[in-house]
Amino acid sequence: MNFLNRAWRYVTRKMSKSILLGITFFMIGNLVLIGLGISDAANNAKTLTRRSMRAVVNYEVDNQKFWEYTDSLESDEERTEAYKNYPKIEKEIALKMAKDERVKAMNYSASSPMYSQGFDNVPLGNEEKKAENGGGGAVVMQDGTQMEYVEPNIMIQTNIVPETIEFVEGTNTIVDGRMYNQNDIDNASPVAVITKELADVNGLSVGDTITLSSTDKNQMEYLLTMGITEEMTKMDLEIIGIYNTKADVDPNDQRFDWMSAYESPKNFVLIPGSTYAQFNYASSKASYDYYVSQGNSDMYGEEPTVETSYYANKVVYLLNEPLKVDSFVDDYKSELKDYTFLNANNEQFKKLAKPLDTLSLFANVIVWIVTLNAVVIISLVTALTLKTREFEIGVLLSLGVSKVKVVLQMFVELLIVAFLGFTLAVGTGSLIAGQVGKMVLDFQQSNTEEEITTDDNYYSWVGDQNYFTEISQDQLLENYNVSISVWIILQIYAMGVAVVFISIVVPSAMIMRLNPKQILLA
Amino acid sequence: MGTILKVENINYGYVDGGYRREILKDLSYDFEEGKFYTILGPSGSGKTTLLSILAGLDKQESGTVYYAGESLEKLGLYKYRRNKIGVVFQAYNLVQYLTGIENIELAMTETDNEVPKNRKEIGYALLEKFGIVKSKADRLVTHLSGGEQQRIAIARALASNVDLIFADEPTGNLDTATEQEIIQIFRMLTEKFNKTVIVVTHSNEVSKLSDHRVFLQDGKLQDID
Repeated sequence: MNFLNRAWRYVTRKMSKSILLGITFFMIGNLVLIGLGISDAANNAKTLTRRSMRAVVNYEVDNQKFWEYTDSLESDEERTEAYKNYPKIEKEIALKMAKDERVKAMNYSASSPMYSQGFDNVPLGNEEKKAENGGGGAVVMQDGTQMEYVEPNIMIQTNIVPETIEFVEGTNTIVDGRMYNQNDIDNASPVAVITKELADVNGLSVGDTITLSSTDKNQMEYLLTMGITEEMTKMDLEIIGIYNTKADVDPNDQRFDWMSAYESPKNFVLIPGSTYAQFNYASSKASYDYYVSQGNSDMYGEEPTVETSYYANKVVYLLNEPLKVDSFVDDYKSELKDYTFLNANNEQFKKLAKPLDTLSLFANVIVWIVTLNAVVIISLVTALTLKTREFEIGVLLSLGVSKVKVVLQMFVELLIVAFLGFTLAVGTGSLIAGQVGKMVLDFQQSNTEEEITTDDNYYSWVGDQNYFTEISQDQLLENYNVSISVWIILQIYAMGVAVVFISIVVPSAMIMRLNPKQILLA
Repeated sequence: MGTILKVENINYGYVDGGYRREILKDLSYDFEEGKFYTILGPSGSGKTTLLSILAGLDKQESGTVYYAGESLEKLGLYKYRRNKIGVVFQAYNLVQYLTGIENIELAMTETDNEVPKNRKEIGYALLEKFGIVKSKADRLVTHLSGGEQQRIAIARALASNVDLIFADEPTGNLDTATEQEIIQIFRMLTEKFNKTVIVVTHSNEVSKLSDHRVFLQDGKLQDID
């Protein structure tokens, strides 16, 4: 008749007490299950949504913050000085982050709209509408002259590494020839990779040469006055590869009727970043020399170099796991210079997930309150019943049963009842938790009237692509599904053991003070 | 016949209403093996206190109690209670949510003494010797009469194969006929099984049948005969 046997017999033979205690555990179990179920569902919904999102982190200039800083400056001189040191992304830091094992690909990308010379762009299908809407227009130059504005039609996309996100993700695939490689980048080779559609429209193939110009011929006359020759505005590029892209413009986009041809991914021409840097440098240097000759070098800032002639608005990192985004940001944010930051689109996600976070918090608070109450209630019940069991304890002690074994017996008694109560609660809790979870979420949503906006810091530059996955709150909440998992069941049993363990502490102290003579011979 | 329990200069007292009351004063006594002792004395003389000290349920303030030549402190009170003695109380002190046989098994399980593996059979046989048949042994003790419960309590005291039995007013709640039966059981334990029985009682009927009648007065034990 060891303490386990005694515990079992006590529980089964003191049925009314066991049932009452069992009901208490059952109710506690249900409440905790609801709490844990809701909390788990909220976290799961966030995790599932996160997993479905692109694992993208942008290294960007925090324009908003910098502008707030310049606005706070007192004089125009200070502001001018500040703008001369406009924050920029640091190539060294960008490359360091690119080497992180979590990074699958990096787009350290500069892009620029260009004019095709001797070949056509791929039509978007909005040309007629655009003509009706009055495309083009006049441009007023610095010297006051007006000239007809002709839209660029090709977009060059560059990168400082050959492995671009689009190729790694499979959005782009080479169908003929090859992508530019590190050798091309190192040598600033005048090579290009064009889309299959662009090749088909113009009958181009690998080995052909295309010419792109940064300037429309109407503007050439003006540029010549600034020392920029026609030669400097043109790029002759050998086609080394043709690729297929899944990316395309959306005809349902509100802007579609006004879209320029260069905005279509079919009109993107991929060239090495170094090639573009060299090209840019030539005209930048000429322009700088012109301003110096005019005695206006201050307008230009520092003398351009090939390095400074390549500027990316942001660096985009594609990570191998969406759930590693936050840790990646945390690991590198301290290394960034002022007014630059790592944007994981968290703000938008946080706003979308706010009802779930509130729900999770609420559920966790419930779990804690119920658990603490459970400890208090069970402690009290055990302590109070201890008075009625003093005689039994005295008998056991007089037989030489150690106090530890007496405490263990009571611990096991509570465990048996808790196990039964929680096991029943697992059955009912899984049914109740789903209903209550949905009800609380509906209530929470009806009380949340916050407008969800996209990331405030997103300032679109020409050629910028948004790599973040746009999600709606509905998509997020679709993943909210309260169910009682094995993990939750294990948690509730672990909690049960903990509650019983803590609840037995006070009664144990009382038992330890008991003296068999006082009990039995009083 | 050797001494099984030796009491040497034990003192015990307590403070009551601001005054210290000495209960046991330099009390010394030797209890011999295989004898039936009854301790008599007026109410409040300290009989129960003495019994609780002898049974290892309480500690004396000074002095020493030896079991088979070894002090209880050295032996350890829990171990002493578990392996060397059995105690029978006036209120039987059985575990009420257990059956008669389970109460017997309880003592058998707790002791470190050698107990055969077929405890249940031994337990039933032991109870039968004390007039408790199997059908009654399987009942919860709360469903048995006072006499039956006291027999079970005595059987439990013996179940762990001990040599020394203490009893505090074991017949106090029983009718005369049952009292006689219980006394006969104690006699049988000493005569047939060489157990030492020490009983605290007010009853002359009980004391008459003991081997040694000891009187507790003024904190000291004195043989009456």
